[in-house]
Amino acid sequence: MSPVLLEVEGLSTHFMTRNGVLKAVNDVSFTLHEGEIIGLVGESGSGKSVTGFSILGLVDPPGKIVAGSVRLQGRELIGMTDAELRTVRGREISMVFQDPSTTLNPVLSIGTQMRLALAAHETTSRQAADARCIDVLNKVGIPDAARRLDYFPHQFSGGMRQRVAIAIALLNHPKLIICDEPTTALDVSIQAQILLQMKTLAQDFGTAMIWISHDLSTVSSVASQLLVMYAGRIIESGPARDLLRVPDHPYTQGLLNSLPEHARPGQPLVQIPGQMPSLINLGAECAFLSRCTKSGPLCQSSPALRSDGSRRVRCHHPVAGDWQ
Amino acid sequence: MMSQAQPEGTQDGVLLQVSKASKQFAPSLSFGDHIAAWLGQEVDQRIVHAVDTVSLDLHRGEVLGLVGESGCGKSTLGRMMAGIYPASRGSIELDGVPVMGTGKKPLKTTTRIQMVFQDPFASLDPRVRIGETIGEGPLYHGLVDQTRVKAYVAQWLETVGLPAEAAERFPHQFSGGQRQRVAIARALAMQPDVLICDEPVASLDVSIQAQIINLFLKLKHELNLTMLFISHDLGVIRHITDNIAVMYLGRIVERGPTLQVYENPRHPYTRALLDSIPRLVTEGDELVTFKAIEGELPSPLAPPPGCHFHLRCPFAQEVCKSSVPDLTNAPSLPDQDRHVACHFPIG
Repeated sequence: MSPVLLEVEGLSTHFMTRNGVLKAVNDVSFTLHEGEIIGLVGESGSGKSVTGFSILGLVDPPGKIVAGSVRLQGRELIGMTDAELRTVRGREISMVFQDPSTTLNPVLSIGTQMRLALAAHETTSRQAADARCIDVLNKVGIPDAARRLDYFPHQFSGGMRQRVAIAIALLNHPKLIICDEPTTALDVSIQAQILLQMKTLAQDFGTAMIWISHDLSTVSSVASQLLVMYAGRIIESGPARDLLRVPDHPYTQGLLNSLPEHARPGQPLVQIPGQMPSLINLGAECAFLSRCTKSGPLCQSSPALRSDGSRRVRCHHPVAGDWQ
Repeated sequence: MMSQAQPEGTQDGVLLQVSKASKQFAPSLSFGDHIAAWLGQEVDQRIVHAVDTVSLDLHRGEVLGLVGESGCGKSTLGRMMAGIYPASRGSIELDGVPVMGTGKKPLKTTTRIQMVFQDPFASLDPRVRIGETIGEGPLYHGLVDQTRVKAYVAQWLETVGLPAEAAERFPHQFSGGQRQRVAIARALAMQPDVLICDEPVASLDVSIQAQIINLFLKLKHELNLTMLFISHDLGVIRHITDNIAVMYLGRIVERGPTLQVYENPRHPYTRALLDSIPRLVTEGDELVTFKAIEGELPSPLAPPPGCHFHLRCPFAQEVCKSSVPDLTNAPSLPDQDRHVACHFPIG
């Protein structure tokens, strides 16, 4: 296995709101190897995006990283000054956000935006910079890149804008790209194009990725490892296909069963009753308790994350049942 | 419960008929352009051809799925059928009566068609208690009187799986899934014959999506609703609809019973769309199980001549660039229910 790139340990990000402490990310730990694609799945409010933001130190008040460590090739990122973080962001770790129409600056041409991203980390001549920009634009599938450098974001379609955002993320050959729902705002046909392209790029550049999404199907087609989050915690993790074939946590199982492709057309879908609890003042019990079909007396206390080699599960009554 | 009780065995009657309807959007001219036009200058009108000569029948008791990528005109067609947008050309009739009046600013003529929108955060008035939101329409149209409105609202809340006390609350006190239930209750309280749902589950989480899909399935059976279900999510469409119509750049390119179309798409676009859905990968060595369609949807400001799909179509030939294929029961299609608009249908 390739060397370890990123170690996240006990990461907790809380938001100090008027109503109390909102534990958006709670004791999250995982390891990412070089060139690996890891999928981070969960519903909205599960803490998956905040986990991504916390790695890059992009949490603004009232949010605060209250505990944990994030090490990139052994270097601790938590506690770095803003100046130090700026040398990491965009060069070693970059990020692709969900909505390309809000992440690109509407009043700068994409060439200007790309040159700025390059200039933030190194000094090159204008010609060399343009060549680099054209090169990555070609790689993400934008035809006629040299002319497109002078285009403004509004002159691109949604799919093309997301390609530009990906090109900017690739510009400095980062070791890790955090993709926060990069295809959610796109149509299926464009989503398929971008998924294929991202996978190829990751292989060609040897870039590791954290792919954040609520869509199990898209994640399963790109990621080799999966982390499932619920109410701010990782509740299950493991090799993607293994985990999706035999989920151990009742929540993961419920999610999979609720997909229309798992039911006969016209028949009621298996549904998880209820909704995710508020992350403010979470009790001591398992956060999934009120929606769980397998709960027992043990579930009054929040279960620990148990590990069995490659698989981890946070449940007192795992579905497969052969956990100690 | 429905005001227009349907006799048994009228499943085949056409309820809502769209005949050669088109919709174009032209931005209003600026003051300068007006003067230029008055002086006889050519003015660039930038007309968006959102819906282009579409004919479609919705039968009583049918659940029809309308699928396509964003910008293909499916929402516009849905709004035309709901009597929100007047058609630029063609007609839309409910039981033979136009759904919209005539004149410069035509109004909807019927309350028998109701709509559920995508975003329940935007479609409910944040300052109005939901009991009032649901009861307002039926009160105004005389479906219920002031003394009975409370019980009436409670009954519809119960139908969509909400407690009667919910009537006293405001929209912000509900989650996304619950708000969508409120939006459905509001539409149903008008006792419509046709419910038009524009992406009603797209903004919901997966586990909540299943709850709302189940609600639609229940309503379909209990109320024998006729529904137009607009979605880009082909998995949801397959689950819930009897028939589907596939739209591409303002035109319907394929129509037929849902399962038949999924198993055996005849239009190259339908095939490509179905191929591009990522499926849950649980075994096998090949991680990627889908194929991507080349290119993107052309601009509806300047749609290509001939078949709109010819620029991306792997089977396109010379004729496709100039002649528009009709949506027909092509001779190669023995099945009466299948219609395809293609010069060279698959199979």
